[in-house]
Amino acid sequence: MPEKKLKRDDPYFIDFPKRIKAIQKEMAKHGIDVYLGSRLRTLSWTVDAFMPWRSYIVIPPEGLPTAITFVIDAARVQDDSWLDQDHILGYGPMGGQDQVSLLSGLIKPHLKAGKGIIAMETGMGTYLPEGHLTLFEFVMLKAALPKATFKNAHDIIDRLSLIKDAGTINRFREASRIVDIGHKAVYEAICDGGYKNMTETEIAGLAAYAMRKAGSEWEWSFTGGNEIASGYRTGLAAGACTPASRKKLKTGEPLMVDLHAMFRLGLGDHSHNYFLGKATKRQLWHAKNFIDLIHKCLKAYKPGVSPTTLADEMLAFTEERGFQDYMVPGFEHGIGLMGDEWRIGLNDGPFEYWTNPDHVYKKDEMLICAVQYACPEENVGFRYENPILITAKGCEFLSKFPLSIDVV
Amino acid sequence: MPERKFKYLSKEWTEEVGKRLKKDLTPEKMKHITSSMLTIYTNCPDKKTRALYYKLKDGVVESVSLVEGALPKAEFSITADYDMFAKISRAELKARSALMSGKMTLKGNLVKALTLSPTVDRLNEVIAKVPTEY
Repeated sequence: MPEKKLKRDDPYFIDFPKRIKAIQKEMAKHGIDVYLGSRLRTLSWTVDAFMPWRSYIVIPPEGLPTAITFVIDAARVQDDSWLDQDHILGYGPMGGQDQVSLLSGLIKPHLKAGKGIIAMETGMGTYLPEGHLTLFEFVMLKAALPKATFKNAHDIIDRLSLIKDAGTINRFREASRIVDIGHKAVYEAICDGGYKNMTETEIAGLAAYAMRKAGSEWEWSFTGGNEIASGYRTGLAAGACTPASRKKLKTGEPLMVDLHAMFRLGLGDHSHNYFLGKATKRQLWHAKNFIDLIHKCLKAYKPGVSPTTLADEMLAFTEERGFQDYMVPGFEHGIGLMGDEWRIGLNDGPFEYWTNPDHVYKKDEMLICAVQYACPEENVGFRYENPILITAKGCEFLSKFPLSIDVV
Repeated sequence: MPERKFKYLSKEWTEEVGKRLKKDLTPEKMKHITSSMLTIYTNCPDKKTRALYYKLKDGVVESVSLVEGALPKAEFSITADYDMFAKISRAELKARSALMSGKMTLKGNLVKALTLSPTVDRLNEVIAKVPTEY
């Protein structure tokens, strides 16, 4: 049995057949004959394999689903997945084996005389690898299945995946433990002047090496893996995305270390901040503002809180302390198994496919507590990110690396 | 004496194919595979559709049968025009090229099919040697 197929008593076990049955129950409730999933988050949540190539899953009204991916990766996906080789198929540029032929062949048996409702996943996202059905795919499938009706139904999986089960939470805990190992490696490398002559890409690489040694599968973030910024790059206006550059680390400059690890599709994401060699009084004032805000923010996350109520409380604090000009006014982004990034909760807010600011957090939801401080005129900025689990009375922050801005 | 030729897709031709496959292909050469395959010939000269059904068990070609009408279930089915198959049998066209052009369609698990393709090539090599009249 491949190492990745888990037994029920394993801490990382997820009951995937139960997930499929839950989807099928919702399909029946909504009169859906067959569900065609194409988003990366849907594939991770149902197949339990990393599927980097364009992939799909066809979920029938009952029984096992069938996933399809590019043929060059199908055997590996099958090796990782709980599904057997008859339910992981490869597509390729061959008669009868292209994406549309395979998908329509899998869908047709679940339609009556070609008629029925096919659930699809479409929409809009800030996240490029989201995986919504493309217009071309839709047009081709509609031509192959002309009597069928297509219905956008991603909310079924979004709703079911919102509250995290024990296996998912434990995968995130382990990914965070690995991220902390990466942070320790960075700290040990840069302290006592070790940062001199290093570049941002080097920091990204040494963290990656330490995390890989600890079992991380990938520096998963599509934003360039481990995001490292130093000097003016930490304080880019309203910025919260810093793929590492070849910039050399310099004494007196801030350094932002935002590491990403993946463990069984669970995602670690934690940022730690430094000053290199020395820091001015003014820089330390910025640092204190930031750390005090993070402490306050982590105390505030609990069931019943919404992004709006939390932001109101945090921004009031920044005004009181006089650093409101340096805050990016958001304190979260969504998180789930690989591919589920960015939006919090469901697509039910005033702006389609953005976080609903009035989403009310519930126990066992997860999110990234994300705070960005940027002062471009002083070339200083900090980032905090940490996956948090909403608990009965507060939150558990999964990365345990000590919260501080260190002068190294 | 001129070599006896068998009419393509006739009962006699099918029997000869079966006989040669059993004789020439060892279980080792066929990698001990157990599978079934249909090759479906559309637009035969009499406008009919015919199929050859191959059954392999542990690398032994158990049977090759000619089918008209209802087709049996098979792990793989390959469909193309009679002329296309004839070109492949005469070694004028590679099966891979026919598949890549979309003029031949494959039903079944592509990953398994790609794994088995060298074995199927061996089968085709034997069939190509049957003196055939198209």
